[in-house]
Amino acid sequence: MTIQKDLERNETKYLHKFIDFAGKRVLEIGCGEGRLTWQYAKETRSTVGVDLDTDALRVASIDRPSDLENKVYFSRAMSERLPFSRETFDIAVLAWSL
Amino acid sequence: MVHALSEIRRVIVPDGILIDLRPILSHWPIEVISARTSHETGHIQDLPLGLADDRAANRSIAQAEQNGWFEREAEEFFSFYYAWDSPSEMEEWIMDEWQDFIELDKESKRATRSAWALGDADSAVRVGVNMLITRWKKK
Repeated sequence: MTIQKDLERNETKYLHKFIDFAGKRVLEIGCGEGRLTWQYAKETRSTVGVDLDTDALRVASIDRPSDLENKVYFSRAMSERLPFSRETFDIAVLAWSL
Repeated sequence: MVHALSEIRRVIVPDGILIDLRPILSHWPIEVISARTSHETGHIQDLPLGLADDRAANRSIAQAEQNGWFEREAEEFFSFYYAWDSPSEMEEWIMDEWQDFIELDKESKRATRSAWALGDADSAVRVGVNMLITRWKKK
């Protein structure tokens, strides 16, 4: 099956209209396979994507471009119990996950 | 969900930003499109479980706002299009991926198949998912 998602790139346009990611520490909740992550991560200081789906996180890690290896990390975590200290991030993105 | 919002608030800095990006059920339009033209052929039917999910999410974020955790700074809707080469591929996707919260009614299915069959050689089918994006500032 051939499916194409957001060819118009509306999601990326609106995301960047709403927030400037430059130099920011970003937490993405519900990152899945990283489809949204790759739309902004290059601009950030660091990005952490969390999800409960281990298979999706594996795909995200495999797909991670080599120039983002030291900047983008993925972790299995529940949004109700985030394994991070207080005030670790500048921005949190709830990606299709509330 | 409210607990998740409390956790998010804990891990972002003072004045940090939360972006809430999610689909909202609203009888998403179905279109047959080609390079030359586009034609609306019906609407997706929202199912009770999907509507209940949206209500629960709205309640949670409203509760977080009421608790004084976040302040709404901006909000907009936009369309996120899913496109398939044919109506049968769209129908298969809806059955496999979305069947718990939406469905395709007979008339929309018939009209979409018909418009696609009679359409241009490059005709495809798309569904416009209604997306809500909200920017919240931590208080």
